[in-house]
Amino acid sequence: MAELLLDSDIRIWVFLPIVLITFLVGIIRHYVATLMTSEKTVEIQQIKDSQALIRSRMLRENGKFLPRASFEMRKHYFNNKDDGYFATQKREPVVKNPMTDPTMMADMMKGNVTNVIPMIVIGGWINWAFSGFLTTKVPFPLTLRFKPMLQRGVELSALDASWVSSASWYFLNVFGLRSMYNLILGQDNAADQTRMMQDQMTGAAMGMPPDPSKAFKAEWEALEISSHKWALEQIEDELVNKNDPLLENVRAQRNRNL
Amino acid sequence: VNEGAIRQNAAILDYCRTSVSCLAGVTAGIMGLTGLYGFIFYFLTAGMMSMMLLTKAGSSWKKFFSSWSVLFSSGLFGGLFTYILFWTFLYGMVHVY
Repeated sequence: MAELLLDSDIRIWVFLPIVLITFLVGIIRHYVATLMTSEKTVEIQQIKDSQALIRSRMLRENGKFLPRASFEMRKHYFNNKDDGYFATQKREPVVKNPMTDPTMMADMMKGNVTNVIPMIVIGGWINWAFSGFLTTKVPFPLTLRFKPMLQRGVELSALDASWVSSASWYFLNVFGLRSMYNLILGQDNAADQTRMMQDQMTGAAMGMPPDPSKAFKAEWEALEISSHKWALEQIEDELVNKNDPLLENVRAQRNRNL
Repeated sequence: VNEGAIRQNAAILDYCRTSVSCLAGVTAGIMGLTGLYGFIFYFLTAGMMSMMLLTKAGSSWKKFFSSWSVLFSSGLFGGLFTYILFWTFLYGMVHVY
């Protein structure tokens, strides 16, 4: 396969602009999305439910550090047959139908507007403006199967599969730059990232299972089978046997006094 | 172990992974590595990054990551995409024209 010689103007006027356009459009899209996101409203009942679930889980995981009586008391509060929290609370299963709930509809619309539409529009525009160029060559050999993927818009059957056409270079950029956005946007706007972090931290409280009563049932079962085993049973002996210089000192002094 | 701390560590690991694969891609592109050598180079640098993190954590790495394999394998293939993109980009800029 003969090497092709590409005009270096292609590099300046096609190859680089595609990278820049993809990159900048991604950043703009990020800011538009930030502008358009609406505050999620959470009902107080949902927060109560999920906090109860979290408390119960923590009791199961860390209950070994509590004295037996305290553990049983907490377990009783959740699991008691007559008036335990999980036994008495009955919730209507909340099924949100995205078609009837206007806020959900709007959210979906926004997602589409910020993600899909720019991709189609810019992709179409690049296809139209930069059609028919071979832009670059991937530095590794590829099989013929990749030809339609990498050489969109250039149908030459004799061409080696590792050449990349302009439209395909755009798509490579779209997929490859995704993680770069995390890097750069995370660096540039600390405000955004901290908000993301906050979302994640409270996410445990916000992200409700669709049907609380089912989650309650599962948590009830898990708590019911967890039994109390005190982790601090041997604590005095362990403390005394510990090889601590301070303790050694104390012990030596006591021996001298005896 | 704290859920939030684990997530934070994973995020930092991801961050390192992306930066390293981006830089490795740039290097490979400028050096003009082709074919299998480029992929070997990527896995070498990724492994080196993990080793460096491991050295930094010292003997107490158990405190920071739940398992040994997480440190080496998480985000390895996501990073590969970034690597290929930068590799192709710089290779095209320097060697094709």
